[in-house]
Amino acid sequence: MSANTGLTVRGLVAGYRHGPDVVHGVDLTAPRGAITALMGPNGAGKSTALKAMVGLVPRARGSMQLDGADLAALGGPERARRVAYVPQRTLLTAPMRVRDVVAMGRFVHRGPWGRPGRADRAAIDAAMASAEIEPLADRTFPTLSGGEQQRVLLARALASGATALLLDEPTSALDVRHALLLHRALRALADDGAVIVVVLHDLSEARARVDQVVLLDAGRVAAAGEAAEVIAPAPVRAVYGVELIEGGGLGWRLPEAR
Amino acid sequence: MTRAARTWLVLLVVAVLVAAGSILVGDGDLSDPALRDTYLRLRGWRLACAALAGSGLAVGGVLVQGLFRNPLASPSILGTTAGASLGGVAVLLLWRALLDGIAPAWFPAEFALPLGCVLGALGALALLLAIAGRQPGVVAVLLTGFILSSLFLSVGGLLMSIAQNTWELGRAVVAFTLGGVEARGPRHVLLALPLVVGGLGAAMAWSRHLDLLLSGEEEAAAMGVDVAQVRRWVIGWTAVLTAAAVAIGGNVAFVGLVVPHALRPFVGVNHRALAPAAAVGGAVFVVFADILVRLIPATGQIPLGVVTGLVGAPLFLWLLARAARQGRLA
Repeated sequence: MSANTGLTVRGLVAGYRHGPDVVHGVDLTAPRGAITALMGPNGAGKSTALKAMVGLVPRARGSMQLDGADLAALGGPERARRVAYVPQRTLLTAPMRVRDVVAMGRFVHRGPWGRPGRADRAAIDAAMASAEIEPLADRTFPTLSGGEQQRVLLARALASGATALLLDEPTSALDVRHALLLHRALRALADDGAVIVVVLHDLSEARARVDQVVLLDAGRVAAAGEAAEVIAPAPVRAVYGVELIEGGGLGWRLPEAR
Repeated sequence: MTRAARTWLVLLVVAVLVAAGSILVGDGDLSDPALRDTYLRLRGWRLACAALAGSGLAVGGVLVQGLFRNPLASPSILGTTAGASLGGVAVLLLWRALLDGIAPAWFPAEFALPLGCVLGALGALALLLAIAGRQPGVVAVLLTGFILSSLFLSVGGLLMSIAQNTWELGRAVVAFTLGGVEARGPRHVLLALPLVVGGLGAAMAWSRHLDLLLSGEEEAAAMGVDVAQVRRWVIGWTAVLTAAAVAIGGNVAFVGLVVPHALRPFVGVNHRALAPAAAVGGAVFVVFADILVRLIPATGQIPLGVVTGLVGAPLFLWLLARAARQGRLA
C-alpha cells in the first residue's frame, strides 16, 4: 500500500455498545492537503463515524487506513500519535492552565515519569502558535470563551504531532470571526500536508471553506465529492428536504493583514 | 517564591509543629525520667500511625476524585472506608472461627486484617462502579456510595453483635471498628508503611493519566490513555491505601475529601503536584485530630473518626452547598 495516501475508510459499520448500528457502510477518502467535511442532518451518523475512526465507538465491520496502515489494528497510543480528535464539547472544567491543557497532547510521547523534554516544549510552542493562543498560555481553561477553548483544544490536538485531525463540529459554538480563524488554521495545516476531516452543519460554511464533502443520510453516504458538487440543489433536497437558494446569504472574510 | 513552593513550606512547617504537638501532648508526665522514654516511644508510634492513616486516606481521595472527575468523591463518601472496615471485621471473625489455635503465634490476626480491608475496599469500589460508574453527574455516585456505606455499616453492626458472644473477640472488633491510633507499635507501622508508600508511588505514576481523565474518558482515550487499565489500577491502589489506613486507624472519616479539596487552590489540579501535597496534608490533618482526641475532655477517649467527622462533615456540607449553587450537581 502506498504511503501518504491519507485516510481511506471502506464499508464502515459502527454503533454504540448495547445499541443498534448507527453507521451503515460508509466510504470516505480524505487525502492529505485537503479539508474534507462530513455533513448530514441530525442523527445521520456524522459524529459516530468520526468517533469510530479513532476507536471511541466500536467498529462492527469495514476498514480504516491512514497512509496504508490499518487504524483498527493500532494500539491506543500509536493511533493517538497519528490521529488526533477534537470533540464538539470538552468535559474539562478543572482550573488547569492553558499551557498544561495543550501539553496533554504530548501524553503519548512521554514515559510514565517523564517531564516534558525539549521536543515536547517545542511541539507545545508550535501548536500554540498555530492555533494563535500564545497570549492565553497562563490563563485557566474554564475562564476562556467558547472560541478560545476550541482553539486550545485544536492546539492540544496539534501538539500530539498527529498529521490527521478529526474535528467534531468545531465551529458550532463560535462567532463568525472565531470560526474564520479556526478555518484559517485548518487550511494552513492542510497546506502542510495534514489530513483534515471535519463535521459541519452549516452548508454555506462548508461550500466556502472545505474542499470536499461526504454527505450522510441515515448512516449511509448520500453524496460525496467536491464541495460545490455536493452542496447543490439535488443532494441537499434529497437529504435535508430543503431547497437551496443559489447565490443567497451573506458572505464574510477576515480583514487583510496590515 | 512560587505559590506551590510557599504551600510546601507552610505544609512542612505545620507538619513539624503538629508532630511536636503529638509527641508533647498527652496524659503522661515527660519530666518523669523513669517513664519518659516509654511515653516518647508510644507517642512516636502513635504519631507514625496517625500520619500514615492520614496520608493513605488523602492520597486515596486524590485518586478517586481524579478517577470519578469529581471533587466530592472520597473513600469514605463512596463507601470504600466502610467496605474496608467490614472486611477487617469479617477477617477477625473468620480468624476466630477457623484459624484460632491453628495459625502460628508469630502470625496474629491483626496481620491478616489488611487483607480483609483490601478485599472489603475493593468490593465496595467494584460495586459502586458497577452500579453508578457510568452515570453522568455526581448525584448517582454520591447516593450509591451513601447507600453502600449504610449497607456495609449495617452488616458490620450485625457481625459486631455476633462477636459479642465472645468477650475477647467482641472487644477486639469494637476497638477495631471505632478506630484510633492509640496503643500502636512498630508492627502497625511496618504493616502500613509499604502500602502507603506504594500507593503514593502509584498515584505519582498514574498522575498524567488522571490529568487527562479530567477531560473525560472519551477525550482521554482519544489521546492514547487506556481508560480501563487506569480504572483497574487506580481502584486497586485506592483500595490498598484505604485498607492500610483502616487497618491501623479504623474508620477515619472525611480525610480523603477534605484534604485534596483544601490543597487544590494552592498546588493546582495537576495530580503529580497534588498527590504528594495530599500525603503530607493528610498526615497533618489526622495527627492534629489525634491531638484533639487527647485534649477534648471525656470520660473515655473519643474515637479518632469522631473528631475527623466533626471537622469534616460540616465542611463537606458546605462544599455540597457550594457545588449546588454553582450547578455542578446536575
